Amino acid sequence: MRTPYAELLTVLARHRGVLGSFVVSERDGIAVDSNVQIGVQAEAVAALAASLHRKARLACGAAGGGKVTFLRLDAERGGICAAGRDDLVLVTISESRANIGLLRVEMMRAAKALT
Amino acid sequence: MRAATAAVETWVEEPLARFIDDARVRLVLLLESSGRVLAQHGFTRSVDVMSACALAAAIHASAAEIGRQLDGEPFTSLHHHGQARQIFLAELPTARGSHILLTVFDDATSIGLVRLYFTELSKRLAAPAPALAAATPAPSFVDFESDLNRNLAKLFGRI
Repeated sequence: MRTPYAELLTVLARHRGVLGSFVVSERDGIAVDSNVQIGVQAEAVAALAASLHRKARLACGAAGGGKVTFLRLDAERGGICAAGRDDLVLVTISESRANIGLLRVEMMRAAKALT
Repeated sequence: MRAATAAVETWVEEPLARFIDDARVRLVLLLESSGRVLAQHGFTRSVDVMSACALAAAIHASAAEIGRQLDGEPFTSLHHHGQARQIFLAELPTARGSHILLTVFDDATSIGLVRLYFTELSKRLAAPAPALAAATPAPSFVDFESDLNRNLAKLFGRI
């Protein structure tokens, strides 16, 4: 089934080094739509990334930092980025070679379209 | 203070404790499809365990039958979302046959995480389950009540 998010996920998937992108419900940890390469454990990443975003949002709120606009997690062979709006979170999984700056700009733009 | 976990059979203890820690769920019941309890976490009264087991077994049986009639295959998991709490009820296949897991959680976690760790629990429980030959036989109707009472007594430290 095609969702309103299919187009923005396709745009993100075209970026170099992006292994997958999702729109996830932060409350449920379930992917609303996804565009991932074969081998990516979509359900697991969606649930864990949504939980991570929620905790970051709560931590920033408690620290007086206001709303979380962009979350970036760097790992040995890549990373996870997340940008949320209301209950929806846009998540991308990328390899180390991805251009995170460009990805960030694209994700921030796309996150504004999440409703 | 963390609520206590208790199991009638030791092979479920470690995997279940890990599920509870990872998934951050509040209440857990592991039972046989007959309704006989194998493990519990978070309950303080045996009467609550007994009621929850009976209801869980009945709900699971009903859902499975609806699945068979609608889809030709039994439905194996079910999720209900309340105002503050949610339940996830699912069939848990092990080497000792199908069991049922009932878990109650709140907004400290999510259904996505509970499903994720439930899948891991299934894999862990499949491994250490004692062989079928050594398994406890299914209770007869005559033995059911005494088995249930014995298990409840074990879980609540009266044996």
